[in-house]
Amino acid sequence: MAFLIAGRIFGLLCLLVIMASVAYYIKQAQGGTVPKVRRIPGIDAIDEALGRAVEMGKPVFCSHGIANLRAATSGPQTLAGLSVLSYVAKQSLRVGAELYVPVRQPEVWPVAADIVETEFKLAGRGDEFDPDKIPFLSNNQFGFSSNYIGMMMREKPGANIMIGAYWAESLQLAETGSRIGAMQITGTANSSQIPFFLVVSDYCLIGEEIYSAGAYLTNDAPLIASLAGQDVGRIIAVILGLLGALTVTFGSNILLDLFAM
Amino acid sequence: MSDVLRRIEIPIALTIIATLLQVIPYYFEIPALESAANTASNGVLLVVACATFIGVISIIQVHGKRIQRQSEGWYYSLLVIGLSVIMALTGLPFPEAGLGVNNSIYNWLFINVQTPLGGTMYSIIAFFITSAAFRAFRARNLEASIILVAGTIMVMGNAPLLTNTFPFIADMSLWIRSVPNLATMRGVMIGAALGSIALAVRTLMGIERGYLRGGGEE
Repeated sequence: MAFLIAGRIFGLLCLLVIMASVAYYIKQAQGGTVPKVRRIPGIDAIDEALGRAVEMGKPVFCSHGIANLRAATSGPQTLAGLSVLSYVAKQSLRVGAELYVPVRQPEVWPVAADIVETEFKLAGRGDEFDPDKIPFLSNNQFGFSSNYIGMMMREKPGANIMIGAYWAESLQLAETGSRIGAMQITGTANSSQIPFFLVVSDYCLIGEEIYSAGAYLTNDAPLIASLAGQDVGRIIAVILGLLGALTVTFGSNILLDLFAM
Repeated sequence: MSDVLRRIEIPIALTIIATLLQVIPYYFEIPALESAANTASNGVLLVVACATFIGVISIIQVHGKRIQRQSEGWYYSLLVIGLSVIMALTGLPFPEAGLGVNNSIYNWLFINVQTPLGGTMYSIIAFFITSAAFRAFRARNLEASIILVAGTIMVMGNAPLLTNTFPFIADMSLWIRSVPNLATMRGVMIGAALGSIALAVRTLMGIERGYLRGGGEE
């Protein structure tokens, strides 16, 4: 066991159990057993937002956050935001909405541009793809924010979809969107920014909902099933939380010792 | 050959290798893997550094066209490109030629343009918070009323004039912050961590393809 790093063994065990349960449910789904997933109003509202923008003759803004793809906690949020962008790009083409994708990270820009361009090509309209509508604004946080605000004030989008990792600029962007009357769907797993999004958005995806968005939107059975695997992790977290409260209350540090393994 | 390179399996395989290279050395002490992970991390830094130029190209494309067409506010685009070029040239890492971070023009622009602009953008959050609070603090239904009451107590709890006169307000504020607020935030964080793990598993299994071109459709 010497090659296992001390203090991380219990974490590894938990991770393996959750991964195994997710993999198990995915395999089950491939065999035809798909669990039911509750409706997520914020994701359901994306089509409504796009339709509204088209009816108003206004463009749609879709942002995948300001984080890169490398960071341990914010990288997956960007990935989730890009999954939503893929769906928004596809639907925008279907309903005829003009899509803008403001980008902060230069390394994410090619990925975002490729997602949108591919949707154009799949729709047989590759020549209509305009890279100027996926502008790299600035890799400075407030440079990006001021640019985004300026774009919103000029273009007056009918819908503003922001799903990904946001920090201090979250309220600046969402409040500007609210002022110009855009229908707003926001979501982040950064707990400090969720209250801001909740206050100024029409729909807000909270925490884990953004990670489910890709699976939910594609309605692909194995992806939907993987969400059930998360519940096993949730059950483990609840059991450990209750056991921890009980053992500490009765003066035992057995769980703390286990966690420090 | 080009058909082979366009196959969707290639980015999926690269993602899996890169993920495993970071995850395994976190839990296991395997020097060879650690060294490979460090090499991969350095490679990523190189890719990121190169990607900066992609950003510059995008800026030149967007603003260059605006200047060329003399679209509305084109002179702002001229300013963006002009200042970007000046900052890039004066910031080149050749100290012997008087360039770099100690260059006077670079420093002047950084201290007198970039820093105050960043500070201004940050400080206007206060006004955004005020207008958002005005909208949020309306007792339209039960949930909004709870936010209103909790928010009011929190604001009062941060006002020394009130907490000195009515110390129980500070206690109430502390209770809101450390019991219902903390419990909710921990719930959100645990949920988000689990969601992130599930996303990682889906990515590792190659079934989460939303980030790939067209959701992996070929």
